[in-house]
Amino acid sequence: MSSEHQDWLSAASDNNALTKAQLDRLLSDAELQNTLARYNLIGATLRRETHSPLQANFSDDVMLQLADEPVYNLQSNRSMYQRIKSAVAVAANGTWLQPVAQGAIAAGVALMAVFGVQQYQQSPEAALSPQPLLQTQPIAGFATPVSLSQTTVSDRFAEQEQQAMLEQQKRLQALLNAHRQQVRVMEQAQQASHNTPDTGTGQNEQ
Amino acid sequence: MMRFSGVCSAIVLVVLSGFAHAEQEAWALFDKVQHAVQQYNFDTSFVVLKGTKVDTYRWLHGRTDTQEIEHLIPLDTSGVDILRRDSVVYYLLTDRPAFVTLSSSIPELPSLLFEPKSKVSELYNAIAGSSAVMSGRNAQLLRLTAKQSSRYNYWLWLDAETGFPLRIDTLSEQQTPLERWLVTHMQISPELPENLRALMDADLPAPADSIDKALPQTSHQLTWLPDGYQQVTEPATIPQLENSLLSYWLLTDGLHQVSVFVQNSQRLPTQAYRDGATTIFVQAGNKMEVTVIGPVSIDTARQLAASVQ
Repeated sequence: MSSEHQDWLSAASDNNALTKAQLDRLLSDAELQNTLARYNLIGATLRRETHSPLQANFSDDVMLQLADEPVYNLQSNRSMYQRIKSAVAVAANGTWLQPVAQGAIAAGVALMAVFGVQQYQQSPEAALSPQPLLQTQPIAGFATPVSLSQTTVSDRFAEQEQQAMLEQQKRLQALLNAHRQQVRVMEQAQQASHNTPDTGTGQNEQ
Repeated sequence: MMRFSGVCSAIVLVVLSGFAHAEQEAWALFDKVQHAVQQYNFDTSFVVLKGTKVDTYRWLHGRTDTQEIEHLIPLDTSGVDILRRDSVVYYLLTDRPAFVTLSSSIPELPSLLFEPKSKVSELYNAIAGSSAVMSGRNAQLLRLTAKQSSRYNYWLWLDAETGFPLRIDTLSEQQTPLERWLVTHMQISPELPENLRALMDADLPAPADSIDKALPQTSHQLTWLPDGYQQVTEPATIPQLENSLLSYWLLTDGLHQVSVFVQNSQRLPTQAYRDGATTIFVQAGNKMEVTVIGPVSIDTARQLAASVQ
């Protein structure tokens, strides 16, 4: 009996057709259903059918489930500053930051050195306009058109005072020309008075 | 102990000889620059920067076996040509007769390039500086630092190849640049430039026999001189100022000249001006007005003006 009903059950597991009476018995008897399940499992094992517990399209199911998830509007209540601060704090404890920071400091010092030196070298050029400036015409010291102008003369000077300044500038221009003239004839004057041979050139000739 | 002091003195000796060697090297550069401007045939242009003002010049120099000729043309001033043949300097003017003086160099050029080394080394220490690229040429810095702080300092950049000066800065005692002399174009040739050859033989007026030396009867005295300066015993007269000039002194340290003028008081305030490296200081007073003009600091000029009695 038992072997007989196992035969049709075994045949059913091999995809043989069941009679109506046999199907009724199978549906009504839970033990028979378990047996059929065991037969199917044995058969599958014998046929070396690989059975995956996950279906091939399981990711689609996950996506579907995610699509059904409600959207949570998560917003941080921390400010940008706090976030940067905490990020820096975390980074500072990390081992990678120290060599990077040391490199950055070294680069900063090098930049300071380079630009500092450049600025030092540039500064004499920037300072080339000195104090009160006298505009003079450096002609060879002959009565030149008076172009002496004092930059400090401002509009609040009365006309009379301006006139006086102009006179003064003319006088200074004349004195400057006289000085240049003296420099020009000095060697001649000295030669005449000392009657010494010319030593201006020739001493360093090689 | 003996050994220690021996090592110390050896180190001091090495350091001192190192300094001496550096100084020698710097003066060798000075020789080189003077040799370049006095011996080479060249055609150059240079500018003189005084504050915001720029003066441009063309400068030619040539030498034959027996003769030397130098031509300086101020490009901003028409009608003036300065020519030197050996030790005669001609100021050639278009509208007036030429003015001729005796001088072994043109005073409008930096006197530093022509004065003998012995004179310059009395007043200055020479230090060779670093090299730099200037106008595409390799330039060597030579710093002349005044031994007395009242004198201005010079920084020279000379062409490493030829020794020709490329730039000369005049600096105050605080190292502030006052004046810059800068070569903008330079051509050194083995042959005498053609236009100088013509001038070499040109007919030029003879120098005046002697300068009239009738000095104004001075009633004042100069009681102080800056370090290294002495009075020129017989400066030339200044005809254009004859009526207003009470006293006049010309001082020189061999490289720089300072004029001291005494005139009647104009009742104007004491004031100072600067034209490049030249200080113009006017000391006002009740009876007289003293004007000091020269390449000295304002302090030195003030002291000099105050010493007139």
